[in-house]
Amino acid sequence: MNLSVKIGNVKFLNPVTVASGTFGHAEKYYNLEEVKKIGAIVPKTVTLNAQAGNPPVRIAETPAGMLNAIGIENPGIDKFIETKLPAFKKIGVPLIISILGHNDKEFKEIARRINKIKGISAVELNLSCPNLKHKTLVAQDPKATSRIVKLVKKELKIPVLAKLSPNVTDISLIAKAAEDAGADGVSLVNTFTAMVIDIEKRKSVLGNFTGGLSGPAIRPIAVYMVHKVYQTVKIPIVAMGGITCAQDALQFMIAGASMVAVGTYNFVNPRATLEVLTGIKDYMKVNKIKDIKKIIGSLK
Amino acid sequence: MSALQNIFKVVSNERLCPRFYKLSIDAGAVAKKVQPGQFVHIRVNDSFQPFFRRPFSVYRAKKYLDVFYEVVGPGTKALSNKKKGDDVDVLGPVGTPFTLPSKKAKQIVMIAGGIGVAPFLILSDRLKQQGFELVLLYGGRTKGHVYPMKEFKQNGCKVFVATDDGSVGVKGRVSNLFSKIVPDPSTTVIYTCGPSPMMAAVQAFAKRYHLSGQAACEEVMACALGACLGCSIKTTSGYKTVCYDGPVFNLHEIIFENTH
Ligand SMILES: Cc1cc2nc3c(=O)[nH]c(=O)nc-3n(C[C@H](O)[C@H](O)[C@H](O)COP(=O)(O)OP(=O)(O)OC[C@H]3O[C@@H](n4cnc5c(N)ncnc54)[C@H](O)[C@@H]3O)c2cc1C
Ligand SMILES: Cc1cc2nc3c(=O)[nH]c(=O)nc-3n(C[C@H](O)[C@H](O)[C@H](O)COP(=O)(O)O)c2cc1C
Ligand code: FES
Repeated sequence: MNLSVKIGNVKFLNPVTVASGTFGHAEKYYNLEEVKKIGAIVPKTVTLNAQAGNPPVRIAETPAGMLNAIGIENPGIDKFIETKLPAFKKIGVPLIISILGHNDKEFKEIARRINKIKGISAVELNLSCPNLKHKTLVAQDPKATSRIVKLVKKELKIPVLAKLSPNVTDISLIAKAAEDAGADGVSLVNTFTAMVIDIEKRKSVLGNFTGGLSGPAIRPIAVYMVHKVYQTVKIPIVAMGGITCAQDALQFMIAGASMVAVGTYNFVNPRATLEVLTGIKDYMKVNKIKDIKKIIGSLK
Repeated sequence: MSALQNIFKVVSNERLCPRFYKLSIDAGAVAKKVQPGQFVHIRVNDSFQPFFRRPFSVYRAKKYLDVFYEVVGPGTKALSNKKKGDDVDVLGPVGTPFTLPSKKAKQIVMIAGGIGVAPFLILSDRLKQQGFELVLLYGGRTKGHVYPMKEFKQNGCKVFVATDDGSVGVKGRVSNLFSKIVPDPSTTVIYTCGPSPMMAAVQAFAKRYHLSGQAACEEVMACALGACLGCSIKTTSGYKTVCYDGPVFNLHEIIFENTH
């Protein structure tokens, strides 16, 4: 059975990964023998300088999902490399590092620092965090998307993925802009801008006022968006949005995703990522599929 | 993939007073590992409603793992419907536990509001018969919210109760019981858990008398593994996660907000 997939020139042993911002402290809390089996790990987005994150309340439970407005709390790229990366590397699973710059210069500088370190398989550009008070997201503007992808591609030899926002009229236009600018793949979707109101206080529940909706609640929209992007671009798609099990993940793969990531559901079932992998293998066995590529984009 | 998540059987799920229940879980392996102040993250059912797991302090960890909880919404309601023999999905133990007092300490004062009493039984289990004077100051709304303090008394705790309406113990807030504390900075140690306004009052009291202390905090949680950074609170050294850096913090480190 061949489960391997490629992004740019990098091969991943299987298509199952975790979504940025939903996986951490594996060294303390996870069975690393099990974690070793997944295709890749994507740690939380890092920025050039440390960020404290948004004031609480940062999360809210919603029907079949959640809102978050964490605000990319992270130690900054240098501290990340020094204090967090070693534990991730030790797991021995390919790493896709998610980065975010607040302007062109920052993206370039982070890329340069990543270039100096070994053992990273790919970079994911977070062009789509809805929780940072920017008026428009990079991934809401095809020109800005193109510019950032180009400038990071110039710095990096390893594959670059552009992580897209679903908060757009036509996500395939942005995906196309990323492809034309040289991106090796696109990741979608990030969270949907949303809010929950406390009716007693008549205030928004979240400290950041709005947040990003994720979890099973968004899955059908995410599947549709992956389908739409697959119709438009040739580069591989890393898909996420409410995946809880292999059946969910397979919908995305049939729609055109080369890789699938479990995000929010890690919080509910911390074994979900591995169960997705096992379930995909079972599906291939039952349906006598020898190569995962036969599933990708196989929608009739 | 978490080595900490497992399915166990319910041993009993007993209603102790109108809204308080005690759930015993046949999870000896978890019970053995637990340190006072740590908690478990329970999936109350297999549906997406409610979506998150729910965090509960470990109340007692002997043969079984015990959780003491108050029904306040859909998650705790679903938990209260569990019967003997049912499966329960437990993640844990997680979180930073209480630091146990040094030999120098004499009076250990546990100050709890409502269900915040939960982490103190296991603490008193560990501290009993070690020569400390154990004191529990407990504030509840009314008689129906005051859980019988038998187990604490069996552990040798001196128990003082305050209720908002005076139906049991002293009328008023738990702060009306602070006079039971002998505030000596070198020998009095405070442990507190409960609503933020109460813990803020405890912090102010401890500050006034230069007492050291620890507080167990609560926040809505998604992962409980320190991964999502969703349960952060403000501290004197920046945002810290309640699930991973806490739930137990140095009492003086916490910045209580919206408590006035
Ligand atoms: C570390 C920790 C230990 C806890 N230990 C216990 C315990 O031993 N016994 C017990 O009964 N409860 C405990 N709680 C609180 C318990 O988790 C909540 O009461 C429960 O999640 C409520 O779920 P629900 O669906 O019944 O109510 P919901 O409808 O979710 O909530 C009802 C009310 O409680 C508030 N709330 C919800 N979740 C939390 C939370 N995690 N922390 C604080 N407030 C919350 C909501 O804002 C709302 O006002 C603990 C919480 C934490 C963080
Ligand atoms: C708590 C939380 C934190 C997140 N942090 C990040 C982040 O740092 N960078 C990023 O690109 N996406 C982040 N995301 C978005 C997820 O990676 C993912 O794109 C999205 O949640 C949809 O997938 P899901 O429904 O499976 O969670 C975060 C999501 C959640 C719920
Ligand atoms: S609940 Fe996720 S970090 Fe605490």
